[in-house]
Amino acid sequence: MNFWIPAALMAILAGLIILLPLWRRGTAQVGHREGALAIFVDQLKEVDAERVRGVISPQEAEAAALEIKRRMLAVERQGGDGGKIRTGGTAALFVMAVMVPLLAGGVYLATGAPGISSQPFAERAAERGEDQKIVELAERLKARLQADESGGPIEGWELLAQTYMQMGRYQDAVAALAEILDRPDTRAGHVTQYAEALIAAADGIVTQSAAAAIDRALDMDVLNPAAIFYKAQWLEQDGQVTEARALLVLRLSQEETAQPWMEYFIREINRISTTTGDAAVAMSDFVTVRGPSADDVAAAAEMTADDRADFIQSMVAGLAERLQETPEDLDGWLQLGRAYGVLGQSDKALEAYRAAEGLLSTLAAEDPRHAIVAQGLAANGG
Amino acid sequence: MIPELGQFALALAMAIALVQSVVPMIGAARGNLVWMRSAQSTALGQLLFVGVAFGALMWAFVVSDFTVVNVAENSNSLKPMLFKVAATWGSHEGSLLLWTLILTLFGAGVAMFGSNIPHALRARTLAVQAWISLGFLSFMLFTSNPFLRISPPPVDGNDLNPLLQDVGLAMHPPLLYIGYVGFSIVFSFAVAALIEGRVDAAWARWVRPWTLAAWVSLTAGLALGSWWAYYELGWGGWWFWDPVENVAFMPWLLGTALLHSAIVTEKRGAFKSWTILLAILTFSLSLLGTFIVRSGLLTSVHAFAVDPERGIYILALLGVSIGGSLTLFAARAPSMEGGGLFAPVSREGGLLINNLLLATACGTVLFGTLYPLFLEAVTGDKISVGPPFFNASFVPIMMPLLLVMGFGPFLTWKRADLRGISQRLWMVAAVAAVAALVLWYLVTKGPVLAILAFGLGIWLFLATLQDWGARIKLFRAPFSESLRRARNLPRASHGMTMAHLGLAVCIFGFVGSSAWKEEIVTFAEPGTEVQIAGFDIRFAKVESVPGPNYTAFRATLVVNRAGAFVQNLYPERRIYPVAQSTTTESSIRHTLAGDLYAAISEPAAETAGDVWTLRVIYEPLVNFIWLGSFMLVLGGALSLSDRRLRVGAPRRAKMPEMAQPAE
Repeated sequence: MNFWIPAALMAILAGLIILLPLWRRGTAQVGHREGALAIFVDQLKEVDAERVRGVISPQEAEAAALEIKRRMLAVERQGGDGGKIRTGGTAALFVMAVMVPLLAGGVYLATGAPGISSQPFAERAAERGEDQKIVELAERLKARLQADESGGPIEGWELLAQTYMQMGRYQDAVAALAEILDRPDTRAGHVTQYAEALIAAADGIVTQSAAAAIDRALDMDVLNPAAIFYKAQWLEQDGQVTEARALLVLRLSQEETAQPWMEYFIREINRISTTTGDAAVAMSDFVTVRGPSADDVAAAAEMTADDRADFIQSMVAGLAERLQETPEDLDGWLQLGRAYGVLGQSDKALEAYRAAEGLLSTLAAEDPRHAIVAQGLAANGG
Repeated sequence: MIPELGQFALALAMAIALVQSVVPMIGAARGNLVWMRSAQSTALGQLLFVGVAFGALMWAFVVSDFTVVNVAENSNSLKPMLFKVAATWGSHEGSLLLWTLILTLFGAGVAMFGSNIPHALRARTLAVQAWISLGFLSFMLFTSNPFLRISPPPVDGNDLNPLLQDVGLAMHPPLLYIGYVGFSIVFSFAVAALIEGRVDAAWARWVRPWTLAAWVSLTAGLALGSWWAYYELGWGGWWFWDPVENVAFMPWLLGTALLHSAIVTEKRGAFKSWTILLAILTFSLSLLGTFIVRSGLLTSVHAFAVDPERGIYILALLGVSIGGSLTLFAARAPSMEGGGLFAPVSREGGLLINNLLLATACGTVLFGTLYPLFLEAVTGDKISVGPPFFNASFVPIMMPLLLVMGFGPFLTWKRADLRGISQRLWMVAAVAAVAALVLWYLVTKGPVLAILAFGLGIWLFLATLQDWGARIKLFRAPFSESLRRARNLPRASHGMTMAHLGLAVCIFGFVGSSAWKEEIVTFAEPGTEVQIAGFDIRFAKVESVPGPNYTAFRATLVVNRAGAFVQNLYPERRIYPVAQSTTTESSIRHTLAGDLYAAISEPAAETAGDVWTLRVIYEPLVNFIWLGSFMLVLGGALSLSDRRLRVGAPRRAKMPEMAQPAE
């Protein structure tokens, strides 16, 4: 059923409620005088009942009755409710009966989301099937990695962790990354991902173990942007807001050409700036800008669901175009295959995985990308 | 669609509240009956639309519509249905919606059942009630939207905190809120009376049923809450002086004082400004409680909203409503006429002491609750004020209250004969003193305060019975005569007796379970045996049992007494994989004499094997607490059913026809 029809009925009902006092004008109303007198008469009866019951003596009853009668006199003296009872004000009620739905409509449009339909859990079986497939693939990958006597290739664990992160299973991501923290080929990026997973698992709080991981990543690569990004968050949460901002600005100024991560830095700096009172910065303050600016990214964040889908489509299309020029980029094909898979375009995903399959021959046998390609092909009906 | 209709209903409710907060007030000032009467339809309209919103949110929880962020964060498709429903008010946003629903429920109650209340007072009261709901509806819509949507929705929801998945807790917030929020209508009546400039005996009578209704449900809510803490938290305690408990307890203390001071206003026309002040302060404490819990100012089991922005909004609401009403009070109170005079020893005097002691006790709890916050704000030191403080300060204040409570019902209005009463009560006092002494003899190690409190409990119990007996001439007249008298006694009178007895029974439970409690905490593995309060308990085994959305480790404890088998206890430790947390499910052998309470948890150190931390507690008389609470609630309900609270005006003014010129 359409949302707007019941909403309109509710709005009309609200208007009628405002007009209701105009209908059945004869309904009984109690004035202060009659109401109070009724109470006092009842109190008199009660005093009498207590006297009969022997709870109070006749003298006490008399005194109490006298007091109540004095109150009745006082009420009589005050008179009714000023004597004047007016009616009228009908026009004002009609105006309000119109204003109420309008105001509510305005508030609703500012706070509601009429475009999103209800999706009860029971009606989402198909979607769950898709997700179940991803879960199964992840579990299979995990089993294979655990069975590997050499501990499993580092890229395999990394992929597993990324899958878990996308599924929101941050603790599992932490566990997967913990497997590869102390390998000879562990890089700063792995340690940073570990810190990221820890922070995500703690609802955005930089815990002590996350902080230790960040420091370790910076020991390995002092320029690692992600590590610096989280270091800044850590400083901010520690109350060192100015230092956090300065760290981000410093890292930006060390770069000469535009990098994709810089947008995040800019946004973070500007977010912090609202509390420190510093001026906002832009990409052009640090490097010569090519491509989408910070404003474009911010605009993308405010897009509607449909616009954002288009935006993602265009980015994917860009990647596909690039791969036409550099067809030997295996990781690029895998990325494209995954992207199409997420977008639900399995035929194109299949094509990308096929292209990747052709590049597998150069890889070592235990390379996890064999498995990824096989899964990708299987998942998209190949 | 349904969540969006809920959202729109909230917006409509807010717009209607806006009308209701202005139109009836102007109508009352100008004597415009149509405008005054609009408060009734808008109050019902508000209830309707907030009810629709609440129903929509509940629907979203029931069908697990994870496009609603609130549902995604606080529910899970695997959760049992009862807790899906209860999750509606389990979150910050949902509990605010429940808060507002109850607020509008009381407003609609006055609109529907307040036909004996003068129209101007009713219109003003409903307008003030609308101010409050306007504040909360806007708070919800603009900072804590319960219908915030997310698309695409997550596959499944995060679980509700499993600690909160309990039948007692499912019912706890609604009851507590009915009490807590119910005092809003008393507040509105007080503010309306201040605006009108007319507080008299009749006013007190009009407000009385609403105060009672709120008090009854707050009492029930507190009792349920402590029952929940007792068997769910796994520590065997029923009250922890936790700030969240305190903020619900303070309105109860002041509400109890209000209930009694309103009697004086009703019967003697005295204590007017004091009653009004109590009405304002009681609801202010409810608001303060909401602020403390909802702002995440405290970190405890209950404080699940941590968001300073919301805190500031509530603080502003708090400032406006409390500051505004107190300012109004300061302006109007001096012009209130004094009521009837009374001697120090009189029913009024007794109730005055009751009020002073309850207010002092409330002040003590307030101090103990807020002091750590202020200290942390000023010096940055974190301290916690716990049971020792409250036991040393709150308990001694309550003791004289018990003493006076025994006398109270015997006192007559205006001037009482203390000597005569003493003659009637010396027997009771003697019995209570002897009982306390016997008790002291039996448990010589028992603390002095506990024995004194127990003696006072006995005193209160017997004195209350004596008063009731005197009223119906029990044993002094033929039994049929007493029965007839009992039937004729106003229900409020039975209600008072029942409630006062209930408090005495509670005291037995409080003292017994805290002063004479026995507790053993030990590492246990299959075969371990412990002895407590005459029971021999053998830790037989631990097995893993699957539940709907958890896995439980269930221990089997074999309880024997004097070689004879008594029963098995099965405490559980439940693990909720989705929410990644655990809860304790205690196992209790209930008897009126005392509870045998067992709980298990994982040992702190990860030792290998089947070693568990076993906690066994024997709590004498603990069930008297809930028995007594039930009597308190029953007493309140009896009073509420008193015919006299529904006295209506015999004549009713008809509204003049439009064509008639104004007089």
